[in-house]
Amino acid sequence: MSVAQILPLVIALPLIGAFINGTIGKRLSKMAVGTIATGVMLVAFVLALMAFFSVQHGQAVNIRLFTMLKTEAFSLHAGLLADNLSLWMTLIVTGVGTLIHLFSMGYMKHDDGFYKFFVYLNLFIFAMLILVLGSNYFMLFFGWEGVGICSYLLIGFWYQDFKNTLAARKAFIMNRIGDLGLLVGLFLILSKFGTLEYSELAAAFNAGAISSGEWIIFGITACLFIGATGKSAQIPLFTWLPDAMAGPTPVSALIHAATMVTAGIFLTVRSNYLFEASPMTKEIMLYIGLATSIIAAFIAMRQNDIKKVLAYSTVSQLGMLFVALGMGAYTAAMFHVTTHAFFKALLFLGSGSVIHAMSDEQDIRVMGGLRKKIPVTHFTFLIGTLAISGFPLLSGFYSKDEIIAHAFMHGKWLYVALMFSAALTAIYMFRLYFVTFWGSFRGTHEQEHHVHEGPLSMTLPLIVLSVLSIFGGILNLPGIFLHGQAHWMGHLFKHNVAGMNALPEHKEDANLALMLMIAAAAMSLVILIVTFVVYGKKGSLPKNDEAVSGWERLSANKLYFDELYNALFVKPVLWISEKGSKYFEGLFLHRGVVGIAQGISKSGELVRKWQSGRTDSYILWMVFGIIGLVVYFLIYKN
Amino acid sequence: MELLLLILPVFFALSVLILPQSFVRVFGILSALVTLGLTAALSCSYQVNGGMHYFLNQEWISNLGLTLTFGYDGIALMMLLLTSGLVSLIFLSNWGRELASNKAFTSMVFLMQFGLTGVFVALDAIWFYAFWEITLIPIFLITWWYGAPERKAALMKFFIYTFVGSIAMLASIIGLKAFAPSFAYMDLVNVMLEDKQMAVWLMGGFFLAFAIKIPIFPFHTWQPDTYSKAPMAGTMLLSGIMLKMALYGMIRWMLPLFPEALECTAMPILVLATIGVVYGAIIAIKQNDMKRLFAYASMSHVGLIAAGIMTNSTDSISGSVIQMINHGLVAVGLFLAVDVIERRLNTRDLNELGGLAKTAPKFAFWFAALAFASVSVPFTSGFIGEFLLIKGVYDYNWILGIVIGTTLILGAVYTFRAYQMSMYGPVKHESFTDLHWSEIIVFAIIMVVVVVLGVYPTAIMDFIEPSVKSIMELATSTPMK
Repeated sequence: MSVAQILPLVIALPLIGAFINGTIGKRLSKMAVGTIATGVMLVAFVLALMAFFSVQHGQAVNIRLFTMLKTEAFSLHAGLLADNLSLWMTLIVTGVGTLIHLFSMGYMKHDDGFYKFFVYLNLFIFAMLILVLGSNYFMLFFGWEGVGICSYLLIGFWYQDFKNTLAARKAFIMNRIGDLGLLVGLFLILSKFGTLEYSELAAAFNAGAISSGEWIIFGITACLFIGATGKSAQIPLFTWLPDAMAGPTPVSALIHAATMVTAGIFLTVRSNYLFEASPMTKEIMLYIGLATSIIAAFIAMRQNDIKKVLAYSTVSQLGMLFVALGMGAYTAAMFHVTTHAFFKALLFLGSGSVIHAMSDEQDIRVMGGLRKKIPVTHFTFLIGTLAISGFPLLSGFYSKDEIIAHAFMHGKWLYVALMFSAALTAIYMFRLYFVTFWGSFRGTHEQEHHVHEGPLSMTLPLIVLSVLSIFGGILNLPGIFLHGQAHWMGHLFKHNVAGMNALPEHKEDANLALMLMIAAAAMSLVILIVTFVVYGKKGSLPKNDEAVSGWERLSANKLYFDELYNALFVKPVLWISEKGSKYFEGLFLHRGVVGIAQGISKSGELVRKWQSGRTDSYILWMVFGIIGLVVYFLIYKN
Repeated sequence: MELLLLILPVFFALSVLILPQSFVRVFGILSALVTLGLTAALSCSYQVNGGMHYFLNQEWISNLGLTLTFGYDGIALMMLLLTSGLVSLIFLSNWGRELASNKAFTSMVFLMQFGLTGVFVALDAIWFYAFWEITLIPIFLITWWYGAPERKAALMKFFIYTFVGSIAMLASIIGLKAFAPSFAYMDLVNVMLEDKQMAVWLMGGFFLAFAIKIPIFPFHTWQPDTYSKAPMAGTMLLSGIMLKMALYGMIRWMLPLFPEALECTAMPILVLATIGVVYGAIIAIKQNDMKRLFAYASMSHVGLIAAGIMTNSTDSISGSVIQMINHGLVAVGLFLAVDVIERRLNTRDLNELGGLAKTAPKFAFWFAALAFASVSVPFTSGFIGEFLLIKGVYDYNWILGIVIGTTLILGAVYTFRAYQMSMYGPVKHESFTDLHWSEIIVFAIIMVVVVVLGVYPTAIMDFIEPSVKSIMELATSTPMK
């Protein structure tokens, strides 16, 4: 099969799975539902792998399915684009997606909405694949909003708790703010280039349709970035992501860690040449990413909900990715997206396994000592923690180090700031790990009695993901390990990436890289030892909510972002809504009209007649009107 | 053949009165399907070249300048399809209700269809006006006979508004006729008004009539009251089709008739429409009566359509036609959803609702699908429509474009608030019968059309675009001769 045949199939498979389960899933056994949903994902992954290998060294393939809309000024096509970037994302989405589907079969086993859950998951994958595989920004926008819908449905999956549905709505609305920015970006692109196709856009750009630094290119990239802040949870639109943890944990792993939230990164990498032509946007991106990274890491320091910690950690890592993009380190960003997908999915699934074992308890203060009770979860979670903290030779070490090395060359202060963010990451992750798995059990007896390891469907994905988290770094080993050879992933993105046909790449000094790696490794080791002493050995516990003060209070209360937005945006709109409907609608307009009506009715008996509400009289008036008209014209004409 | 478009509804409206009671329900649906079939057949035989297909074009009372001019183009055909389609859906959605076997009601709906068809095919200003007025009779009677107890005040308000609008339009028609040999469409279009001020005043007459019916801010206060007091079928007729008359009137009459005035009126109208879009959405956020909520939502949505039309560009007018079809379908669906709740629980107050998704999963699914269609997500026709419209407004004036674009955000706020407060949360009503098959069919038809048009809008675009272009030529070029 050629790529042009495989790709539509890759996209169609999850849709078919969703359709089967959506129509007859209710009558099928849970086993069958899960197998169908996971099966289509596995097949899609294998097909994506085939497509990847056939395209890898060849040419990007542009597949036009049909024309959706054709107007005078532009045409919008439903098309797919297979290049190394889109296929790499496809591999992540389908690969990690398959594992998370498998995990969900165990995790959601006792849920009534089992079949519905898998319908939503498959639909999500469908939308995500359109997002990454689409051949133009219009398709991207389709997927972009599509994943938003699925995210909404899955966050509010347990809808009987109204709190969850509020979180879902918040996510949808905040995403829509970003979407509006993206939409305006699309309009700008259309008005400047007259096309949304990636390949045509790049061709026009290469032909010199635009010179770097023009304001329109700033406008376009800024709008795209606003879209990215929504989907990838950056300041100011990041507060939805921690709330999104209201959804089932596999959802958090798939959507809110591994795939959907990286859509903003993908968008930026996809449009890399536009961003390269607009240094100002890159600068903004860098600062926003940095601020997000540090603020989120700071908030994560004193969160006690196991999923909330991971959520803020995701926001923080995404911020770091935007720093990388702001420096133009696209390959490094894609590398970190990949390893992050591995270890963050692993951590979330691990936390899911913990929550499953703890009978839906999420507060780490009542956990403790789980190390011996759920060994597989413990061991894999430890690997995930080490990977994200930059422990030497694990995947996160390499990918994060590459970003940090770029930062060092960009500016020493940036390097320090990123190291600070990385240090915070290591601290809160080890704190999370030690408090959860070490010490003694602090939950109820019932919970303790019930603690158990999940079935194979849950442990297998954990093991696979932990293997990937350990060895994922091999994908892009730094030059010093390869005697100056090109990195594999650097090589991958050096050719066959639609747009400029290659991602811009910066060379790094091998000795410098080694030095920075040693520094980073030393830091993560020191933090490991210190946190082990504090939380592991001495067994200090997070304080109760009332006891926290000073900076801890700020961190525990999420820096009051929600309260701020509430006061700035939500309250005023609600105020207008309430007062507007009461005074403007009610008193001003309503009274005005009624007043006029009364004025008229008082002034004459005639009007009173039709105001009595008798229809026949109205018809009579109409007839009079027409007669009057005729008479008028008879006079007029003669 | 084409005359059947006008004859059939009258025939049905009269013949249903002498039928035995037990046949009325089936008769209603079958007759509506017959007109739908007829319209579809005419659409198929229509040559898609943007030309006007006159099926009646002759002098009538020549010393008054009255003619018998009737015809249609691609846009009118789309409106006719929408009308006959929605009438069928409205009958079907009433299937399980008493109203379905009511002779007077069925008759009035057909009379309504007659008036609407007339509005869409009339190419003589006086006929246009006459049909415009005729549509008022059935909607008034339906609300009067079957509406909520407090309908009187609302109807009065509705009347004052529409009456003022109609009078203004009539005055404008007569005023414009002073410069033309007859009331025929092309004669009026060819009028070249030297006096700009005069042109603005005459256009104002049309605008007032349309602005009230659409409604455009601040001419809207009749609408939430009337919507919430009318019976469900009446609300569906009002929001689904009747307000499309006004939007259609803007495209067919207002733009081509007064290109001279457009220059200085487009911006103020656009601003009003934009205010209406945002204002309607914001007011909708805090409404607790579901019908009122969707009434304001409807106002917000159609404000965008009106704004798009006023930008006077081919793409946004094509978008407005798509969005009219989309809004007609989705509004009918949403009001049916409200009716489903109200009929079973006797309330549509959001505070008293909750947890329906648990007891009625089928309803939850279809209502959710409609909610997504209503916030114009991709894969629905609303997205295509809003994409073109917002782009049109954005290209016209980028600030207005961004302000009007907030409908994407605010729409999500009120729609999902309504959906979640009624469907999610703890179960408040244990007994709630899930959807009847007739209701499922209505929802399914709406969603299928909405999704098909959302994925493959070319189907409609190719049909309407030539007509839009020829209207644009009328609206921009200075008349020859």
